[in-house]
Amino acid sequence: MPLPLVWLIKVVLIYGGLITVAAAMSLAERKVSAWIQWRVGPNRVGPWGLLQPVADGVKFIFKEELVPEGANQTLFRLAPILSAVPPMLAVAVIPFAGEVSIGGHVTTLSIADLDISTLYVVAIGGLGIYGVILGGWSSNSKYSLLGGLRASAQMVSYELSLLLSILVVVVLSGTLDLRQIVNDQAGPIFAWNIFALPVGPIAFLLFVIATFAETNRHPFDFAECEPELVGGFHTEYSSMKFALFFLGEYCAMTVMACLTTVFFLGGGNIPWWPDAPWLLELTCFLSKMGFFLFLFLWVRWTLPRFRFDQLMALGWKVMLPIAIANVFVTGALLSLGWFA
Amino acid sequence: MVIIKRKELSFIEKLYLPQIFQALSHSFRAMFQPRITRQYPEEPLPTNEVTRGQPRLTLLEDGEHLACVSCGLCEAACPAYAITIDGHETERFIEREPERFEIDMLRCILCGFCEEACPKDAIFMSDELELADFSRAALVYDIDKLKRPREELQGRIDYFYQVNDRWRTPSSTS
Ligand code: SF4
Ligand code: SF4
Repeated sequence: MPLPLVWLIKVVLIYGGLITVAAAMSLAERKVSAWIQWRVGPNRVGPWGLLQPVADGVKFIFKEELVPEGANQTLFRLAPILSAVPPMLAVAVIPFAGEVSIGGHVTTLSIADLDISTLYVVAIGGLGIYGVILGGWSSNSKYSLLGGLRASAQMVSYELSLLLSILVVVVLSGTLDLRQIVNDQAGPIFAWNIFALPVGPIAFLLFVIATFAETNRHPFDFAECEPELVGGFHTEYSSMKFALFFLGEYCAMTVMACLTTVFFLGGGNIPWWPDAPWLLELTCFLSKMGFFLFLFLWVRWTLPRFRFDQLMALGWKVMLPIAIANVFVTGALLSLGWFA
Repeated sequence: MVIIKRKELSFIEKLYLPQIFQALSHSFRAMFQPRITRQYPEEPLPTNEVTRGQPRLTLLEDGEHLACVSCGLCEAACPAYAITIDGHETERFIEREPERFEIDMLRCILCGFCEEACPKDAIFMSDELELADFSRAALVYDIDKLKRPREELQGRIDYFYQVNDRWRTPSSTS
């Protein structure tokens, strides 16, 4: 089998998987919310409502595409694309499992293995905010504008803590390559970065909180904030443009769940079994990722929303100092040979 | 002026984290509670003789003619102007019967005034509540759709008299 074909198979598999997960998340969101509220959730389309995402997709396509008067046409159309594409690009470097053999070629189960993939993920992931800002600004609506501004302020503040907690992992592993970071955590369960006492758990907690803010999820979803801003940055969007924003949000959640797994929970590693078959590793990865996806939903339907000033205070006055101190402690301990 | 002294939060409380985990465990346990949703079309609402559903016309024992004498009292009593009656003379003993008796179910507010106004036991509230169709015209019910054998409404009729008798006994008003 020629090499390009192998790549093509990997690309189709991973992107197909991503879109499937995003679609499944739109159903899971409603199912989990229903379960937590003692309800049943969508159960009319297909068995247990499993075909609900398909029905939603069809409905989205048949909805009218509205462009508000006075909106900036180009940017208004560009914004949903800008918010959906970056998380899809970021998933390219996620190392889902170790070595696989496809048609005689031994290859790794990720689309690309860059040696600076951490930087790549962070840089590409940071682009997602442009979709939100442009969508809010170009709609010519005060609610959208407020939602977009809030989203940008929030994302910029929390990105710092996010990056600083990633930095701890990078310092611990001594590499920017996601696959190396995963390999570094092979072996016993204590090799996982979350158990790298004392800094690992703190970095993990900061990272998880920051991912909630980065993906605009509850309790930090100020970009949408229905009671105050109608729908926030996507108030004026309808039809497939709206669906793209949603797709972007769910893809971003998936990528963030993958990254949490990679950085702190040893990726696809199964504790005490360093050379497990790739299928088991993939299953292990997906179940860890699934837990974090569930966590997003679980938290959303449990906690109330913050106030905006509380959100900013938490980001700048609490998380940032802890994150900086954490990096310093990591560096100091590393030079003292603590992690050896 | 009232000065409210707020309770100082301890350090642990200011962290919010214990409360967050408590809330998470609470909502996780809620996922395994019994469901409270009623799967409506499969599990219909419980009804009984107290249910005030859509009004229906009763048939006489012969199962053919309406008990209605077309007096128009229900039409006058109806606050929603939902009832339209055209009467005509008949050779039967009751002398008058409705030629057209229509209730616009989209206007009806299920108040039950027609039931109370009727002097001839001809109109009663049934336990039928479902109302859906593809056009407005189809929801203006005529005699064919409204008539019911008396036995079907018997529960409601008995209940109706039980309530009215209570008001009629002097002891209850003294
Ligand atoms: S129930 Fe009330 S609204 Fe309906 S037809 Fe009778 S009097 Fe009119
Ligand atoms: S009040 Fe009774 S008898 Fe009179 S028109 Fe109405 S249904 Fe017929």
